[in-house]
Amino acid sequence: MGSVMTKSADVTLLEVLDRVLDKGVVISGDMVISVADVDLIYLGLKVLLSSVETMEQLRGSPFAGPMQEAR
Amino acid sequence: MKLYLYGIVDSSDRIKEAIDGLRGSRVYSIPYCDIGVVVSEIDQVTQGVTQGCVLEHEAVVEKLMADFTVLPMRFRTLVDGRDNLLAMMQSYYRDFKGNLERLRNKSEFGVKVIWPADKVKENIVNRLRSDQPETSGPRRSAGTRFMKEKFERYRIDEEFQTRADQFIKAMDIFLGKFAVEKRLEKLKTEKLLLDAAYLVEKSQACDFREAFWHIKSAHPGFKFLLSGPWPAYNFVGLSKHDPARDAEQANLFAEVARSQDLVGADGV
Repeated sequence: MGSVMTKSADVTLLEVLDRVLDKGVVISGDMVISVADVDLIYLGLKVLLSSVETMEQLRGSPFAGPMQEAR
Repeated sequence: MKLYLYGIVDSSDRIKEAIDGLRGSRVYSIPYCDIGVVVSEIDQVTQGVTQGCVLEHEAVVEKLMADFTVLPMRFRTLVDGRDNLLAMMQSYYRDFKGNLERLRNKSEFGVKVIWPADKVKENIVNRLRSDQPETSGPRRSAGTRFMKEKFERYRIDEEFQTRADQFIKAMDIFLGKFAVEKRLEKLKTEKLLLDAAYLVEKSQACDFREAFWHIKSAHPGFKFLLSGPWPAYNFVGLSKHDPARDAEQANLFAEVARSQDLVGADGV
């Protein structure tokens, strides 16, 4: 995605956040450091909230004009 | 030393290209048997979670994608030291291998479809009214009116869901021809008709895009978003861990640990 033309940075960011924060390989077990620090969750929530806000904007004005295609 | 994990790759070879990781850290690969785990070293666990960090993570995974089949790690996967990392690789090796085989030469495409939900509902209401026009009869009681309204709402919702199903089915028949796996989510919100991820053979990517454009042009009232190719974030599946199976791999791990020592500190 990074190497292709991006028509809308907001839509692309939303797609990235959707995947990187919520998908991918999740390792469980003691060998992996938990990222459950309160500060991290707080900071993480700020990122998630901003992505939700972006989604709300999209819902209000769905992919108007140049936002129809993220690439 | 904390290791930040970006992904698992289908090769134990070193990364040829210099890649910058989170906050400019050096990205390198640590081999385990015939696969590798791509990491960088970070000092503080409490580095802030920012949009920039997320994009840096994704940029590393995409660079890896150019040369390898990659299993992208969830953002902020950290392991405390090399021993723990190798223990993790030992524990998940078969899962990683299976996923790497399944995802070889494939990439993910995201498809979102937004439909004019208000207009769809309006259309449904009009159709239902034309099917059953209001009759001038004796004045209904409040209870009867309540039940009638509730039933109408139910019929509208049911028809709304049916139309969503019909559209998604038709679209999926068209796009699904070019995909090997898919994840479809219907009506996450009333307007977001479809949020889908398709796993597509790289050789089929052009056909998939073309099919998407055909569907898009056939539905001018809908809004479409196609994104990709992505690393297969939505298609990595790890099985639950069986302690007996993990123990079975312990001997293999001992061999690998010896080979790690022979290879050197980080396999770069």
